[in-house]
Amino acid sequence: MNNEKSLSVSEIRDGLRSGKFSAAEIAEDYFKKIEKKDKSIHAYLNLNKKSGLEAASWVDSRLKSGEDLPDLAGVPIALKDVIMSEGLPCTASSKILENYISSYDATVVKKLKEQGAIILGKTNTDEFAMGSSTETSAYGPTKNPHDLERVPGGSSGGSAAAVAADMAVVALGSDTGGSIRQPAGFCGTVGFKPTYGAVSRFGLLAMCSSLDQIGPFARSVKDAEMVFEEIKGEDRYDATSFDLPDRRLWEKEDLKNIVIGLPKEYLEGGLSKEVETTIKNVIHEFTDMGAVFKDISLPHTKYALPCYYIIMPAEASTNLARYDGIRYGRSKDAKSLLEIYEKTKGERFGEEVKRRILLGTFVLSSGYYDAYYAKAQRVRRLIREDFEKAFDSDKVDAILAPVSPSPAFKIGEKTQNPMEMYLSDIFTIPANLAGIPGLAIPAKNKEGDLPIGFQLMGKWGDDKNLFSLGKLYESI
Amino acid sequence: MAINKETIEHLAELARVKISDKQKEKLAFDLEGILGHFQELTELDTRDVSPVTGGTDLMNVFKDDEENDELLSKGKDAFPEKEKGFLKVPAVFDKSDHE
Repeated sequence: MNNEKSLSVSEIRDGLRSGKFSAAEIAEDYFKKIEKKDKSIHAYLNLNKKSGLEAASWVDSRLKSGEDLPDLAGVPIALKDVIMSEGLPCTASSKILENYISSYDATVVKKLKEQGAIILGKTNTDEFAMGSSTETSAYGPTKNPHDLERVPGGSSGGSAAAVAADMAVVALGSDTGGSIRQPAGFCGTVGFKPTYGAVSRFGLLAMCSSLDQIGPFARSVKDAEMVFEEIKGEDRYDATSFDLPDRRLWEKEDLKNIVIGLPKEYLEGGLSKEVETTIKNVIHEFTDMGAVFKDISLPHTKYALPCYYIIMPAEASTNLARYDGIRYGRSKDAKSLLEIYEKTKGERFGEEVKRRILLGTFVLSSGYYDAYYAKAQRVRRLIREDFEKAFDSDKVDAILAPVSPSPAFKIGEKTQNPMEMYLSDIFTIPANLAGIPGLAIPAKNKEGDLPIGFQLMGKWGDDKNLFSLGKLYESI
Repeated sequence: MAINKETIEHLAELARVKISDKQKEKLAFDLEGILGHFQELTELDTRDVSPVTGGTDLMNVFKDDEENDELLSKGKDAFPEKEKGFLKVPAVFDKSDHE
């Protein structure tokens, strides 16, 4: 894809300290790369050039005065356009927020700025993070850097493509049903969905509040971990956030006696030939490192998709009620209050958003609430218990699974059939419903020309273990 | 579950969103298809299963109720219409309500 060697977070950290390059040089270099490459990829919706370069000079001046800087100082980072950064637009790739400028920093952005990270700009997403291909963006699709005729996945497709094409060193996305891990898999980057509550969502535009999590994209597991370490933690502005327990099961050189569960429901049928072969290769690689595989069953897996597509639209339809034409600009030719609501939403929400608002309204409406929404909440318990049994009774340390049933599909291939699009999240949704962490890693020994990822799912709160396991895989 | 144009109109009214006639037919078709996939859930007996009502098991998370003047003024600045320091919103009642 690109011939120049991409820098890692630690290479930037070390290079800045040894004087090999300045933060300003790095930032300028990345803005140039974006200018050159993004015409064909369209990962970014807007850039933060002026403030980004100022932040870089600030890092340089502190370095000159001999200050010891944090790990992410001078590291160029991209933000999915559902995460607020003060003074920058935040559109959620929707016409309804076309002119909205963030009034404050999301907690994750505040933490990154305190580190001295360089915010490069905001990246494309499916409208309000609703989609699996970045095609529902009101500002046009993002292309997969590995094949411009294919989607980068979604909804955080812009962030995944930016990191894959080295238009950012790392990026943040949000994952509600796979929106970090699936695009990471399609673009050949690492993507991490933390345990629910590990990272504050203050300043994240809410889609499905009981599932949304912010997490990093990176070109290595180590880089993803370095970003995660800085953004995690309890935040008084997000009541669901908490400090992860400080436990790490393995800090070892090999994987001897580590038990990895293989859920049969993820591996029987439905996988493309390339994904099936690639997963077999990954299993071999882990086995060679000493890991022991154990066949497990997560019997409610097939119910995860319908369960998710009830809960998510229900919460989304509620969350999106705030875009009513009063707070964020309105349709010009509406007269009565009712007309303002209806016309503003009608004109400025895209088709997928409307579909989910209506679906959510339906499953919450009188007469259907118990049959759909209340039912899905109970099924969610069964899905969560499947994982608890695997970790507690079957005693597996992690679970290995594909990220998606197939590699990146062609642009336009699934836009006419919503159900087919929804099916591309079939392996990522369960971790969100259960609240557990999931780490997508590009397979080294893959079948075919496109990237293929696999994911490791961990016990609730065991985020650190997944990073240890992922780093060992990368080191072989 | 059959979804027709009238169902879509009812849902659109509840959600306060205008849907064009052309979109109504497509959405009715899509929703019917999607709801069809939800039927799978009826296979499961969930009578004795307690619902998961949110993403977290944390209980009673409190924080002090503090004024944040900075955030308040930034929020005001971001509001689309203002007059003399007040936020301007469309009239809630129209003239017919007074008659």
